[in-house]
Amino acid sequence: MELAIGIILGCCALGAGMAMIAGIGPGIGEGNAVAKACEAIGRQPESRGAVTTTMLMGCAVAETTGLYALVIAILLIFLAPGRLVNILVETMNTLG
Amino acid sequence: MKKLDETVKKETLYIAAWTLILSAVMQSVFLVIGLWKPDVLFGNLISAAAAIFNFLLMGVTIQNAVDKDEKDAAQLMRFSQSMRMLMQLALGAVGVFFFNPIAAILPLFFPRAAIAFRPLFDKKAKETGEGE
Repeated sequence: MELAIGIILGCCALGAGMAMIAGIGPGIGEGNAVAKACEAIGRQPESRGAVTTTMLMGCAVAETTGLYALVIAILLIFLAPGRLVNILVETMNTLG
Repeated sequence: MKKLDETVKKETLYIAAWTLILSAVMQSVFLVIGLWKPDVLFGNLISAAAAIFNFLLMGVTIQNAVDKDEKDAAQLMRFSQSMRMLMQLALGAVGVFFFNPIAAILPLFFPRAAIAFRPLFDKKAKETGEGE
């Protein structure tokens, strides 16, 4: 029983860590977008307002993919272990 | 301290307004289906605050980054994204652990929904402007 609970907790932690790999992507993407925006503003300083607005919206959209991973990680760390251990205990009790 | 850019202020207000509207809608849905409890409200509040604050911090970072050279700007943005992600993880975890998980997670996506609604209202404003 303890071994099974340990495996469940370990797998949940591993899954959460793997989910957070997706958090790397938005960081790289936003970094590249801002670098290109700097270049654009350098060429046309008068377009600063328009570029900033577009970039803000773009960055917020890009960040959503990271948020999906974050939510999966939060659920795997804080909700899944309890539920899975309960299911395991109930199954063990049913089987006797 | 540098003054907050007018664009950043405007966009943050837009996102905050939509987040509040969608939060009110979510609370109403919880009330209608009979699942409303104080922890739904508190989960929603903490998560909505995290979403708005995240957007504001992103705006401030972008405002500072556009004044730097390309390499520094990219690095600053990556660092900021990591830190904001950690902040959201911490606040989201508090919301999920102590309050209602659904009410604590959904508001994190409200800014994305606000951006999705934006073209509809922009189009309307454009049409109104053209008609004048």
